[in-house]
Formats: sequence, structure tokens, C-alpha cells
Amino acid sequence: MPTFSLNINGKDYSIDAEPEMPLLWAIRDYAGLTGTKFSCGIAQCGACIVHIDGAPVKSCSFPLSAVAGKRITTIEGLSENNDHPVQVAWIEEQVPQCGYCQSGQIMAAVALLDQNPNPSDEEIDMAMTGVLCRCGTYPRIKKAIRKASKLS
Amino acid sequence: MNFELPALNRRDFVKLISLSGTALVIGCVPNGQGNEEIKKINLSKDFDVNQFIVINKEGGIILFNHRPEMGQGTFQSIPMILAEELEVDISSVEIRPSEANRDLYGSQMVVGSRSIQTEYMNLRKMGAAAREVFIEAAANRWQVPKENCRAENGMVVHDDHQASYAELVEDASKLPLSADPILKDHKDFKIIGTSVARRDIPSKTNGSAIFGMDITVPDMLYASIERSAVFLGTVVSFNEDELLKMPGVQHVFKTQRTVYGRERHGVAVLANTYWQALQARKALKIVWDDKGLEKNTTESILNTYKLEARKPGVELFKNGDSNKLLGSKDIISEEYITPYQSHVPMEPMNAIVRVANGEAEFWGSTQNPNGIREHIAQQAGIEDPYKVKINYTYMGGGFGRRSMTDVVEEATDLSIKSGKAVKVIWTREDDMTQGPFRAASFNVLKGKLDSEGNIEALEHKVVAQEIQNQTGDNMEAGGQLMGGINIDYTIPHFTVKGVLQKNYVPISYWRAVYHSTNPFAHESFIDELAHKTGKDPAQYRLDMLPEDNRFTEVLKRVMEEAHWSEKKEGIGKGIAICERSGAYFAMIVEVIKGEKGIKPIKITTAVDVGTCINPDTVKAQTEGSIVMGLTAAIKSGLEIENGRIKQQNFDTYKLLELSETPEIVTVVMKNTLPPDGAGEAGLPTVAPALANAIFDLTGKRLRRLPMDLNEV
Repeated sequence: MPTFSLNINGKDYSIDAEPEMPLLWAIRDYAGLTGTKFSCGIAQCGACIVHIDGAPVKSCSFPLSAVAGKRITTIEGLSENNDHPVQVAWIEEQVPQCGYCQSGQIMAAVALLDQNPNPSDEEIDMAMTGVLCRCGTYPRIKKAIRKASKLS
Repeated sequence: MNFELPALNRRDFVKLISLSGTALVIGCVPNGQGNEEIKKINLSKDFDVNQFIVINKEGGIILFNHRPEMGQGTFQSIPMILAEELEVDISSVEIRPSEANRDLYGSQMVVGSRSIQTEYMNLRKMGAAAREVFIEAAANRWQVPKENCRAENGMVVHDDHQASYAELVEDASKLPLSADPILKDHKDFKIIGTSVARRDIPSKTNGSAIFGMDITVPDMLYASIERSAVFLGTVVSFNEDELLKMPGVQHVFKTQRTVYGRERHGVAVLANTYWQALQARKALKIVWDDKGLEKNTTESILNTYKLEARKPGVELFKNGDSNKLLGSKDIISEEYITPYQSHVPMEPMNAIVRVANGEAEFWGSTQNPNGIREHIAQQAGIEDPYKVKINYTYMGGGFGRRSMTDVVEEATDLSIKSGKAVKVIWTREDDMTQGPFRAASFNVLKGKLDSEGNIEALEHKVVAQEIQNQTGDNMEAGGQLMGGINIDYTIPHFTVKGVLQKNYVPISYWRAVYHSTNPFAHESFIDELAHKTGKDPAQYRLDMLPEDNRFTEVLKRVMEEAHWSEKKEGIGKGIAICERSGAYFAMIVEVIKGEKGIKPIKITTAVDVGTCINPDTVKAQTEGSIVMGLTAAIKSGLEIENGRIKQQNFDTYKLLELSETPEIVTVVMKNTLPPDGAGEAGLPTVAPALANAIFDLTGKRLRRLPMDLNEV
């Protein structure tokens, strides 16, 4: 089995696994970072979103062989003290219910605001399409993104 | 604040408390009635009483929450009720999950929006009894009348003295508890009725909240299971030898689980990693015996329901004699159809079980921790169920699906067969296609209007499967089938009838249960009758409701909030009402016609949940119920093709997206009645209020869910 070197949240990991294994399982089962979630497995729901070189990627459908040498950020790497503006806004707006999809929601929102600090409603809609929440926290996600945009 | 795993059992808890000196520990003897006997606990001997409040000499206050958390917010609301009567600052107390223990805490099952409503008085009494012994201890110490002392913010205060609960706890712990403590007046509430931030939320913004899916235990195998796509198929043969040669594969076993009395078969692949198990599963070649079930389709089942609707059915509710009137001429009759739905919580089903040496242990997310203990004990032949240790976590959604024990049955079976701890993980496809599902239904409504346009006679006939009667010969429809049909309307001749269906498609509890289907038919039909008479649909409803009815209050409030009587060009408005778990909801949906068809732009709801513990949580639950209701109304619906579920994943079973979510306004009514269930009541009114709004705008009446808004 080949060995892959991964840089996740600034830390190097050496992982022995099949090259076609999705990045999600390397992050969860090998690096032990469980904040990134498995939900659909086919890049339809966004619970597994991480950043690869700053861009949002659905890690459940991204093969391990394609990430060598790239910088991966997961929800755990967003801040030391849960104080990234998006996290602060998420807490202030009391967004999560069950919480399972929220790592993906937050990583999608952070990527949006990094690219576009003052997104319009339509730009928020576009960026958050394909990031699903069964609890129905969307109205609060929208409010929190607007708030984070002001906090940043 | 996070769930600590495992939640401490009593003996470990005693050890912890003993380290910190004297403590006052208060609990009760559960009976599920809300009038439990409140008890002070002698930690060294009272192993039969639960604990809810612990106050120690160091000033530490621990409040226990005995209900698993799936996003409904009771992890915060239950301690809020205790803290209100105890007179402590909710932000300074520690909140801990209780252990799962039916003997100590009763069912602990989180279903039917019951957690708050069933235990409100009991929780208040425990808090009040504790407050009273602190006041009495202080009055004794200061030699003053206790009437001149009051409790606030974890202190007892008198004009000349004050002392903290920590200072008083040793004295207080020696006093007897009042069996009937005086509860606070509503107007004196400081915590109940305020939007206290939920303590579990920070851990859900940085990845640290632990769900069942996140747990690994030493020496564990991962299992992925291929199950009969037609639900009741059996395994004829499979290619075990080939699979055993694949990377990481340790075992291939036949396995089964029980769903409402029926055995459901599958083949499990056990491997070192989940990815390996999944790859090997894809290489499985199973020969199935599909038992002829592959002939079923959505339309074949619906056609059966339509034929069955001609049967008289069982009268589930009767007022007057609608049979006679509806046999005459001038009858209005319409049919409404709803599909099967999947729960699809974002966390796919999973469970870890280890069975070894006459004991067992479970790790995972569940709405039903005690049911799991009992299931594992029985399945593994463990006589004392408390030799099964239950470690429950946050749930990544439940919606009814996690009240079942079927996934645990698979994990237990595979642990027994392999001798290892086994983590069963369902794929999204497993979750979507295996069920059990929200029941499909066919509703026939008949009405007769009098000369004034009032409803003289109404019949609502429900043709559907019943969750608690899915197998066997009993074809008598039960009361479960009439859930959500509003019998508060004053209609002289009103009958609800059920025609029970049985088929092979498994069904179960899904958020709001039959309230998620019946009100679509009922509140659409009431609207149709209103339009036939040319009356305003909201006023038509008000005219059928008594003045002092809780429906009347929420109806009037929502009409005011949404400016019901103001007609706006290009905007259609629809209204609907429903009661669920004691809570009364009225909803107005506004729609416009856009480039891509009809679009809901605003949903306004007035909600009466009795005493509201945490308004922000009630609003969050209402928003969530509306999004789930709207998903079921316009996005998702399961179809059956070749006997199996056609939709496999979120690419074809669509959930509502952020961009499709309308503005939501929730008005929480002020009320001092005991609390009602707030977790589901926003869902039932969405589909009928939307259908009514579409009719208002376009004159088109949609009677089948999910509605295709692009087609209108």
C-alpha cells in the first residue's frame, strides 16, 4: 500500500492507504480529526467540506492521490479558541441544532468570505448551494454569514 | 460543554462527589406521570433514586439532563427548569448528561416532542424542594423566620444576613425535603421564558462535539452491509471466498435485523477500515430471492389504496351522522395523495457494539438508550440488562429514525459472530432505501354545505398503513391513523374513517408522524370549501371555532402579523392550522410566480406552546420544522420501482437548500398553561398553507405531494 504525506492544519501526517481512498477517510480515520463529517459520500451534501489551498472541497469525493503537497484545513484548524469571525457569528446567531452538518456549513461560509468579504444575498445563496441541513438551520446560517461579514 | 463519555453511572458518581465533601443531592422516583416523589439521596445507599441536582461544599452546582440531544435543545431547557426554581444562575451551573437507566430515569426516549411537557412539574418540584431546604437551613442558622428569607442567585438573603448555597449545604443536607414545595409564580420567572444560549452550541462550531459516527474503540472492525432492496428478500448465496481475499477483509457474514416484527436480511463485510469494508461490499455478488415483491411500484400501491378507499372503513371519530347526509346529492369530494418519505438525518445510522464475557457495551447516537440496552441484553442472552453499558452521544439528527434499535441489532449480531467490537455504518443509500419510512397515504374528503355555505357534514377517510399494526391479520384501523385531523371545528356531522393498509414497505415514526400527511388533506379541503362559498378562508375557519379556543388565538395573531387582509398584487396567501403534541400552530404562506414557477417567499407562524421555556429554541424548532415540511411539500418524495426505492441519495431525493428557504417569522404566544411539545408542530401546516396560497395566486389546486412548483 502506498504512503501519502498530508499536511492538515499545519501538521504533517504520513498515511498508508489506497490511492483512490477519499481524503475524508484519511482525515477522519487516519488523522483522527472527526470534525469533518461523512453523510452522502457522493459530493451532494457538503458535510465533508474542507479547504485545499484555501478552496472549499467536498472531501468525500476527493481521492487521496490528488492531495499530495497541498495544504489542507479542516474545521479543527480554523482557530485555536473557537474565535474565527464565522464561528463567533455562528454562536451568536445560535445556528446549530443537531450540529452534524455545521462543520461543512462553516467551512463553506469561510471560503466564501475569504473570497468575497461582502457577499450579496444571491452570492450567499450560490456559495451555500449543495450544503445541506436536515434540521433546517438555513435562516440562521444566512444571518450568521451576514454577521460574520461585518465582524471580519 | 460537551457530552462526556461515558456518562457517569451512580457508583462512579458517588466516588466523584465524595472527593468534594458534603453535598446535597436531589432526585425523584420516576413514574412518567410528572408527579414523582421528590427525594434527597443518601449517596451511599439510595441506588434506586435518580439524581438531578447536586450542590457541594465548594459551591459547585451540577444539574443533570436525562434526555439525549438531537438538536431539539432540551440539553439546555431541562436544566433551565431546574435552575428557575432552585434560584441559581443558569450560566454558572455545570450541565451533565445523565446515565441511561430506565429504573432511575424512566424511558428517556426522545420522541413526540414530549421531553419538556411530561416532566415540567417534576423538574420544578425538585428545584423548589432544594431551594426550600436552603432557606430553612439559613433561617435556622440566623434564628429568623424563614418567611423573611429569600433565595436568589445561589444565595439565601435576609435583611441582615446572607449565605451562599455552598456555605449552607451541610446544614441543608440534614433537613427533610418538603413533599409539596411551593412553586414560583409565573410572573417571578427569571430563566423560564428567556432565550438562554444553548451550551452545546460552541462544540458544534469547531468540530469537537462527538457523535456516534466519531467514536472508535480498540480492536474494532468496521462493517458495511448489503441488504435486500425489496426489504423482505432472502439471501440464496454470496461470494464469500472472493471477498475474503480483498484488502483488510476479515469476515463476511449473513446478518439480519428486525423491523416491526419482520426479519430483514443482508450480507455484512467486516474489515479493518470502513473504506475497505465499503470496497469489498461493492464486489459482493449476492443471489437474492425477492419473493415476487419486485412487481410493486408506486402506482400499483396507490391503485390498491384507491380501490380500498371504496370500503366503508372504521369510524375513528364521529359527531352527528354524516353518513346519511353525504349519501345525498350536492356532495363535494376530493382526493389527496402523499408519498413515502425517508428521515435522512445528516448523520447516517451507525452503532458500535462489543459483546464479550457475558457483558456488552454500546457506543452511539440514539433517541432510545434504554431500548438499546434491553435489545442487546435479550439478543446476546445477558440476563441482567445492566451488564450492557450504554454510551450515548449527541445525535446528528433523529426525526424518529433513531428511536429504533434495528441498527444495534446488526452490530450486536456481528459482534457475537466475530468476537470483536463492530461498528456498523450505513451509507446514505442504505439510509434512504431501507426505511422504515414515513407512511404514504390516500385521503378522501367529502363535504356538504348548508344554504349559508357552512359545512353541514364532513367525512375524512384516511387510507394508509399504521405503524403499530404492520403485520398479522388484524385489519381494524386504529386511532393512530387520524393524527392531525382537526376535530375542534364545529361541524354538526363530522366523521373520520380509517381504512387500514398492509403491505411490505416498512414504515415508522417520522417527525410529526400522521400529522405530516393528514392535515395536508384536511386543511386543503377546508380551504376548498371556503372558496366554494366565496368566503375568506381565515374567517371561514374562525367562524367554525369557539371564541375561547387556542386555535382562535393563534389564527387571529398570525392574520395580524402577516397582514392577512391586505391583498398585494402578484402575491398569493394561504393559511392553515394544526395542533401537534399539545401545541397550537397557525401559519400563513406567501407565494409569488417567478421565472421558474411558484416560489414561497415568506412564512409567518403564530405558535402557542403553553409556557415557553426557551423562546429561541422554540423558534429554532419552528424554523426547522418548516424547512422539513417544505422539503416534503415541494422537494422530496420516495418512489417505488421494481419493488425497490428509486431514489438513492441526495442527487435524486432533494432537500430544501438555503437559496430556496423563504423568510420565516415566528411569533411565540405568551401563555401560562403547562408547556406543550414544540419540536414538530411547525411541520404539518406547511403543505396545506402552501397549496392554499398557490390556489389563491393561480386558481390551481394541487392535491398530490410533492408539489411541482415549476409545473404550476
